[in-house]
Amino acid sequence: MTKLIFMFKELLRNLYRNPGTAFVSILSLTLLFLLFELFWIAAETSDRFYSDLLSNFQMHVYVSETFPDKEIDSLTEKIISVAGVSEVSYVSRESARIELAGIVGTDLLVGYDDINPLPRSFVIAFDKMYLHSSSIADIESTIIKLKGISKIDYSRQWLEKAETTRKIILNIGMILGGLTLFTTVVSSANNIRLMTRTRAHGFWQMRLLGAGRIFIALPFIMEGFLIGFLSAALSWLVITYGQSKISFTQFELVLPTLKEMGLFCLAAGGLGIMSGLLGLRKLLK
Amino acid sequence: MSQPPIVEMNNVFLKSDRNTQLFKNLNFRLNAGRSAVITGPAGSGKSSLVELLIGSRRPESGVIELFGEKFGGLGGMRLNGFRRKIGGVGGLFELIPNYTVAENIAFPLILTGARRKSRKESLLKMLSEFSLIKQAGVYPRRLTRVERTLVQFARATIANQPLMIIDEPSAGLDSGTYVRIHEFLVKASYSGRSMIILTSEQNAEILPNSDNYQIKSGELV
Repeated sequence: MTKLIFMFKELLRNLYRNPGTAFVSILSLTLLFLLFELFWIAAETSDRFYSDLLSNFQMHVYVSETFPDKEIDSLTEKIISVAGVSEVSYVSRESARIELAGIVGTDLLVGYDDINPLPRSFVIAFDKMYLHSSSIADIESTIIKLKGISKIDYSRQWLEKAETTRKIILNIGMILGGLTLFTTVVSSANNIRLMTRTRAHGFWQMRLLGAGRIFIALPFIMEGFLIGFLSAALSWLVITYGQSKISFTQFELVLPTLKEMGLFCLAAGGLGIMSGLLGLRKLLK
Repeated sequence: MSQPPIVEMNNVFLKSDRNTQLFKNLNFRLNAGRSAVITGPAGSGKSSLVELLIGSRRPESGVIELFGEKFGGLGGMRLNGFRRKIGGVGGLFELIPNYTVAENIAFPLILTGARRKSRKESLLKMLSEFSLIKQAGVYPRRLTRVERTLVQFARATIANQPLMIIDEPSAGLDSGTYVRIHEFLVKASYSGRSMIILTSEQNAEILPNSDNYQIKSGELV
């Protein structure tokens, strides 16, 4: 217990004696974490945005002119049995005309009371887990092979573009995240190394008196944890404050949950420990 | 049952940094409650002897036993345990620069895990015994050489370390302080504390319960 209290005192002493170094460490790490968190939020937000758009994603399957009406029910069953299809609704010629009239108005349809050139179709919705371009393409190729299907329409290009954008954001986030974490560790380790270098003589004297390496190193390792944790907590405070002040009309920013933020702070503390160990590599040898 | 010797060195060989033979078949025994005054000119190997005793250097061959246990080549926690039983003054033993006088003196008690109350009591006793009360909150860089030596003595005594190693006890001391230190050493010697005093002074004063040695041609005679 005496030793533990002493180590905590040492930790506070380090912070008290080097307030500038501690402040700069916290500030630089906060900025690095901010950058990381902004990309995290961007990735989460774009993900939500993309999911919302996808939830309305539909495919239009057109029935060939010669296909008899009496077989529509069996065709519907065949379509719904395709893996990934969650909902099928049939649009008859008449329903299509009503829908078209709703879009373009009835004036344009004058003279077409007896003739209806509109095709019969199905509107298909999908299970969430099949909502990506390759699965949709698979479903398309299965359905087009069914007897009575003439054409299939869906926003293929939009889907591919959305997926690519999502992937780019994710990749940038990962690269940036990796760089941020690397910079965090190196920068903290350097700070700790500089701090301990000036105290090398004192450490040697402690060793001669019987102090163990861990006993000497632990306050610095705890300091690494504390600085990492505080920096992460501070960056989340800035983010949540900013989020409460800024609002977007087109979409809503998606912030991680409190639990995720807490875990991130702990992970940042873990990085701090790693930095401490790296910074004290020579001392611990 | 008789107590094991505090220090026992048998057939110790050691080369200097310049690769010359420093110790040749060195044998030395210090029994509990006895002290040894070792004299030798500069460069004779007094500091190297201290390095061997605190485990910061290993002999080429030979056996070193401290407090009845083999010591050479120890590492980690056991070495730390041995070092906590040794109080050092002068030479290699300096003060921890970023600790105050009080923190420096109390440091051995932190390592032994002594409680706050007993730590405080022992510290006050040491501060008053060595007239360091006024300097308690001062950092080593602001101390005079005499004060630094007194702090080292206090630190080497506070945890009742069974062995005290003193490298050049009179170095930098004025006559008044030297007399005080000598009185302290005599008192410590009478109380049964074992000490190894290394000095280059040929006419070193003799302590009670002590044996005198000289380092000559790499041996203790």
